[in-house]
Amino acid sequence: MNKKDRVSSTLELRGVSRNFGPVTALDGLDLVVAPGELVALLGPSGCGKTTALRIVAGLEVATSGELFVNGERYNEVAANARDMGMVFQSYSLFPNLNVSENIEYGLRARKIGSAQRAKRVAEMLELVALESKAKSFPHQLSGGQQQRVALARALAIEPRVLLLDEPLSALDAQVRSQIRDEIRRIQLELGITTLFVTHDQEEALTISDRVGVMSNGRLEQIDIPDVLYNNPVSTFVANFVGTMNHIPTIASGDTVDIFGKKIRVKNSKGVNGSVSALVRPESIEVTRTSGSGNAKIITRSFLGASSQIICQTAEGAVIQALMPSHESGDLHPGEDVTLNVTLNEVLVSHV
Amino acid sequence: MASNLRNSSLQKWSIIIFASLLGFTLFILPVIASSIYSFQKPGGKGYSFISYTWLLHQAGFFPSVGTSLKLAVLAGILNISLMVPTMVYLNFTGQKLKPLVDFICILPLVIPVVSLAIGAQNAMPSFLQNTQYELVFFFVIIGLPFTYRTLDTALQAISLKTLVEASRSLGASWIRTIIRVIVPAIRGGITGALFLTFALSIGEYTITSLLHWETFPTWTVVASQQNILGAIALSVFSFVSAIALLATVALFSKKGARQVGVDQ
Repeated sequence: MNKKDRVSSTLELRGVSRNFGPVTALDGLDLVVAPGELVALLGPSGCGKTTALRIVAGLEVATSGELFVNGERYNEVAANARDMGMVFQSYSLFPNLNVSENIEYGLRARKIGSAQRAKRVAEMLELVALESKAKSFPHQLSGGQQQRVALARALAIEPRVLLLDEPLSALDAQVRSQIRDEIRRIQLELGITTLFVTHDQEEALTISDRVGVMSNGRLEQIDIPDVLYNNPVSTFVANFVGTMNHIPTIASGDTVDIFGKKIRVKNSKGVNGSVSALVRPESIEVTRTSGSGNAKIITRSFLGASSQIICQTAEGAVIQALMPSHESGDLHPGEDVTLNVTLNEVLVSHV
Repeated sequence: MASNLRNSSLQKWSIIIFASLLGFTLFILPVIASSIYSFQKPGGKGYSFISYTWLLHQAGFFPSVGTSLKLAVLAGILNISLMVPTMVYLNFTGQKLKPLVDFICILPLVIPVVSLAIGAQNAMPSFLQNTQYELVFFFVIIGLPFTYRTLDTALQAISLKTLVEASRSLGASWIRTIIRVIVPAIRGGITGALFLTFALSIGEYTITSLLHWETFPTWTVVASQQNILGAIALSVFSFVSAIALLATVALFSKKGARQVGVDQ
């Protein structure tokens, strides 16, 4: 199962909606996942991301809209005929089957001969580095190992599309980043089209080619992680992706005043009155002042290459800044400092 | 503090001793007594197996035991094949129908046996009414309250929905999913339900007697009227068989539980 042997699939959703009674879980989702691409759907719980994934898997039926795989309409295809590998949050390994039997389950359902099955199981075990656990039962494995088996089981059937439903949420922090990197490595190695659902923005940003931020059943913005982070189209996306300072200020016309500097407003032009300016910690510069500055340092936390500095402005707002450690070594709690914003344009949200 | 501790442990021990004495007098003593009695020679001089050999030579002992076993096995199998798909369906899809089915399954406990026997018999096709196999359906009915609960508990203990979804997304049909995934995962519950139905059927007297069929329990009543020591031997025999059956159930459910594992 090498990248060259297989043809990756295109996944396309056109205006897919799903209502549960009066509740609209998914509201006209349009999405194209290119062959071999890993796209994450990111959003808070209840935003419809899981519903979208389940509709792709055939475990949920779309109220309206169409689903295509390689241009072929998939709406009416039964879940067990879709050839989609799915990895669940709760692992959901078959408790009565051992690791090998779990992996070959989908192959048996496809009536594949035993010699070929054994070969594929061996390949999959090698892929997830669990050769030594072939005969173990799920309850004898750790959470991380169980999820690797689940991944191997989903990939064994050479699915057209790999679907990951919060696969890392049940794991503890250390294992989580390890499995996350492993998923990305395998996904790139096999060049498999992947749809990944998560509420964890760090997970989504680190391993995805593109990230779609969802809210209230709609896609707010879909783009590469860099663009989402640096150029969020809405305050929702800005707040959901990365850390964000909300600096209370007054807008007049097309500008806001942040720490004494006039900055152009990117969204909702012509706003007047109290607003919050959304500024990333790394866009805030903290400098020592001899006289009285516009803020006081509360804490400085050394994080390695960079340091996090938490300040409080004279007006009482708590501001988080991220600076290179070598430039912020002389900042100590209690000192007066001057805050500066290194931006030409800023997003604001109404208070 | 120390005296409190002593008091509470004293209390604990007196409860244990009292309960053991009560259990011994009410339960173990009669069993021991009748076991000893069943081995006595008629007239009271010495011990032998004479009552048990008498039992085996009674006309109808083996046929009635055979009939009971056959009907009980059939009832167990029919009950399981009816209830496993039903319970899987109810637990997997919405819960709307579940209270209704729960209610229906409780009815055999509430409806007086006479009404149940006569009423249900009238509902059966006449070719069934004329064979002893009609009892199988009655045994299935009286087993429902117990199988419902046993299977429901077993199904709720596993993450049924994700297991089914995992199986489906891997390309398995519904039948394959039930046989290869669900049944093994609730094996303990299924053996429990099977043996409960089996035990209930083996011991069922009232309906069988009302409908004039001969099974082991009805035969026992007739046979025991002829020979008092034989009757006691019979009750000891039934008791030992019942204990053996219960032990088997316990063993099987434990085995099933171990296979499924604990951390799901």
